[in-house]
Amino acid sequence: MYVSNCSTSLRAQTNKTRAVYSLIIINKAGGLVYQREFHSGLHKLSTNDYLVLAGTFHGVHAITRSITPRLPLASTTTNPTTASHSTTASLSLTSPSGTTTPTASTPTASNNPNNPAANTPSSSAYSYPIPSVPASGLEFLETDKFRLTCFQTQTGTKFLLFTDPFMANIDVVMKKIYELYADFVMKNPFYQLEMPVRCEAFDRHLGSWLRGRI
Amino acid sequence: MVVYSFYIFDRHAECIYKRRWLPRPVSITSKSSRPTSDLSIQNNGGAPAVFGQSARTTDDDAKLIFGTVFSLRNMVRKLGGEDDNFVSYRTNQYKLHYFETPTNIKFVMLTDLKSPSMRPALEQIYINLYVEYVVKNPLSPVEHPGGVGVNNELFEESLEQFVTRVLT
Repeated sequence: MYVSNCSTSLRAQTNKTRAVYSLIIINKAGGLVYQREFHSGLHKLSTNDYLVLAGTFHGVHAITRSITPRLPLASTTTNPTTASHSTTASLSLTSPSGTTTPTASTPTASNNPNNPAANTPSSSAYSYPIPSVPASGLEFLETDKFRLTCFQTQTGTKFLLFTDPFMANIDVVMKKIYELYADFVMKNPFYQLEMPVRCEAFDRHLGSWLRGRI
Repeated sequence: MVVYSFYIFDRHAECIYKRRWLPRPVSITSKSSRPTSDLSIQNNGGAPAVFGQSARTTDDDAKLIFGTVFSLRNMVRKLGGEDDNFVSYRTNQYKLHYFETPTNIKFVMLTDLKSPSMRPALEQIYINLYVEYVVKNPLSPVEHPGGVGVNNELFEESLEQFVTRVLT
């Protein structure tokens, strides 16, 4: 199986490494506003199926964000040795504050709802694997036959790009598409927000830019 | 490479096995972190609340994950054809790996972003662990009604060993 995969991949590198199969734009409510096919390679769906796909993806995207693994904040609590059990944690938190300078008395601190990380039994103390960035939804999806890249703008619009699995520099393509969208769709005075994109200039520039790349 | 969790779903969309590994906190010795990860297996009691997740979220997570992979798998089949397979997806926080057997048993693993494709690892788990210890066990039920699930010491032990020794 792997051998046949390699031979197909070699063939793919010669003729379709830069193949962009199709582009889908989903508005912030999960409605399909743009769908265009550039290369055949994926099955064609009916318009209704594309609408269903857009809605489904919108929902799945939100769920993938909510199932981000939550790691307990054991190492960053005030007393690192007591992370294994909640009752011992609260007990040992009281004892040092009673012996040393009691800056914040523990009963008030534990009742204080504004300070969850300090004293609640770590039920709310968790962090994401990469705490510095907010959790995003699905960004890349890989299958045997294609690769789906999803880019969500600040306003919630999602750009879905279906490409060949071996294609590189997808983010460059995505950035350019967003740029063209901003220039020819958002700056079009006749475009109604959240409505299907019917802008000839956008179609034209998108097509010619992608063709020029290949 | 860190493995966060692992799920098996049978062909009736039932979660028959779930296991979560919590990464070792930096400041705690390995000795004290062992019982925490062992305790998290028994995720029906009040134990998970201690580890930052209530019992509700661990049960719901399995359902949400099933819904996600089920939808994505159908989407992939629609677009790529019946012989296309959904392999994995990633967000900016984690990566989900997916493997489905011809009998529609679904293996799902959540790892960090640095891990390579876990498709071979999931296949190994299926072939060397699930088939060997669960399928070939004459006492193990074929179906798992009511969420009985895989209750097999050998399988759990060898899965633990596989994940901690081979994968990390």
